[in-house]
Amino acid sequence: MGENELEENVLEKEIFFPTMLVPFGPQHPASGHFHAMLKCDGEQVVELIPYPGYLHRGFEKLMEYRLHVQNSMLVDRICVLDPFANEMGYANVVEKAVGVEAPEKGKFIRTIMAELGRILSHITWIGVLSMALGLDSGTRIAWGDREKIIRLNEIATGGRIYPCFFVPGGVRRGFPEGFKEKALKVLDYLEKQLNLYDNLVFQNKTVHVRLERVGVFDSKEAAALGATGPNLRACGIDTDVRRDEPYDAYPEADFKAVTMKEGDGYARALCRRGEISESISMVRQLLEKMPRGKIRIKELALAKAPVGDAHFCCESARGELCFYMVSDGTNKPYRVKVRGPSFSHTLSEFPYLVRGASIADVPAIYWSLDPCPSDMDR
Amino acid sequence: MSEEITSSLKSNFPASITGIVSEDKNFSLTAKKEEFCEMLSWLKDSGFDHLSDVTCVDFIEEKEFEVIYHLWSHTRKLRGAVKVRIPRESPSIRSVVDLWAGAQIHERENHEMFGINFDGNPNLSPLFLEDWEEIPPFRKDFNSREYVKKKYYGGE
Amino acid sequence: MYPQYIGAWILAHPIWIGEQNMSISKPFSIVKHLFKKPMTLAFPFEALEPVTDYRGRQVLDLERCVGCGTCAWICPNEAIEIVEYNGRKYPKIHLGKCCFCGLCAEYCPSEALKMTAEAMISMFNKAEAVYGPDKLSGKAK
Repeated sequence: MGENELEENVLEKEIFFPTMLVPFGPQHPASGHFHAMLKCDGEQVVELIPYPGYLHRGFEKLMEYRLHVQNSMLVDRICVLDPFANEMGYANVVEKAVGVEAPEKGKFIRTIMAELGRILSHITWIGVLSMALGLDSGTRIAWGDREKIIRLNEIATGGRIYPCFFVPGGVRRGFPEGFKEKALKVLDYLEKQLNLYDNLVFQNKTVHVRLERVGVFDSKEAAALGATGPNLRACGIDTDVRRDEPYDAYPEADFKAVTMKEGDGYARALCRRGEISESISMVRQLLEKMPRGKIRIKELALAKAPVGDAHFCCESARGELCFYMVSDGTNKPYRVKVRGPSFSHTLSEFPYLVRGASIADVPAIYWSLDPCPSDMDR
Repeated sequence: MSEEITSSLKSNFPASITGIVSEDKNFSLTAKKEEFCEMLSWLKDSGFDHLSDVTCVDFIEEKEFEVIYHLWSHTRKLRGAVKVRIPRESPSIRSVVDLWAGAQIHERENHEMFGINFDGNPNLSPLFLEDWEEIPPFRKDFNSREYVKKKYYGGE
Repeated sequence: MYPQYIGAWILAHPIWIGEQNMSISKPFSIVKHLFKKPMTLAFPFEALEPVTDYRGRQVLDLERCVGCGTCAWICPNEAIEIVEYNGRKYPKIHLGKCCFCGLCAEYCPSEALKMTAEAMISMFNKAEAVYGPDKLSGKAK
């Protein structure tokens, strides 16, 4: 319903206990492209009413009119901050429907780029969290570090933010000469930068006070509300799609899923900080073990999937990203459903966690959940 | 591993299951509309505490919608899918908000995009679209190109 | 030091920090960045050059093109149209609709269409965004 109707309802029902309506976003440095109305009683938030849809582009309908290889170019834009996860999901679901697997070297290249994408997303998250908490230096330095990984994207794939690199059947290009050395240099640089982020953000007493015991939920509530990814692992439940339902080259890599116990904003921040270190070590291992061979089965890009359905889940930087595809025997899908992790985080968990918090805590809770509005709206 | 779940389901709900596919770590079954809530409640009690998604597919030739519930169990590490078919004329199905609180927002999105009514959902107001007067947009008989031409380009 | 955090560290297999070390003065270590080389470039006097394989604007080889229309068929955004030029058929690309994915160059059977690294393209009116065969091949200015 529109906002005029909302105000009339509020005035009719609450004429003796007036609450204040404070808009949060979308033109706000701490809210991304997401609009919500906070019903506040003084400084305390009573209820949050979300108004999503600023980035709704209707991908699921658009994908019904295009071939599989054309859809792979489109699917980057579902979650801009972690593009490789979306491409990975779509390429794998088509391969599952057709029943053919990508070649070994293609799987390794996909896993390496996906983990680099996870590091990129988490560094972006550090930058935006710092901006929301008022610590602008963290933002500027994070944006400078992002450039190193985006440059690696450019060298490997030809595109910076929208790589358009994974297709059903493998990857479009192999790594050029000298990519491995450049990647290892960037990883060494990032490991040194992590000390700087620890000093500036994670061990900063101000950030600690703003995030500790803020936005707490326990594991039962988290599971019922649909939390996945680092948000769930911070409550103690140890679920990671890369380890429980392995795909691509993840069985070859040795990694731990970082879990914490408290379930508050600071625990979620530490989960993501730990994941950056794990991803750096995974990329190093996979670059060593890279096999030789073909990178792509070219026929799969225009293949006709048999009548039936296929479901595939992968672990993006935010949580569980699922693709469900129904096909009717032609080379275009009949229906594609994308389950973005931020859909549950922003629209189920965020209103639940914000009740009773003060207005100043709202951006801190929002960014500790690491939502991506384009993931939510699709 | 999913064999024990599927065999228990077949013994507890013999009349409702019309099709079942079971692999090592996931299973998928088609259920009748009457008993699917009891089946989902049984699955939740046996450890499927995460509702991943509530999806809908529009089979316009068969004049049916298919609503699919994707589940995951954190303790058993198993994935499952329950599919229910409902008629396309005035579609309506029971809501599962009392089992999983996170289902409320998924059902709200499906109501807006497909027009399915979920009995028991406390809030089915529009989510993404504002002032929408056409048929629900993800149905197969909605032509998005014609809509764009009519609304923004004056029908040319 | 909050005791529950020390307990949590022991139970959660800490991998990179051995103990909590919160302080107000640690962030001041950032001051040393004042004396380091900046991370930014003074655009437009210094620019970051794209790599050679960057997916920028397309370029057309008029001799090799056979006018098959595969590029127009595979484009996800229907940005390519086949037109007549000098008695043969060639592609005309609307750069405003193009998403620079590179599928047209990848699926061209005679390798007539290629992507260059030219990324700085801007114009003041929409009509100039449509690159016909003369502009694509560099014959017109």
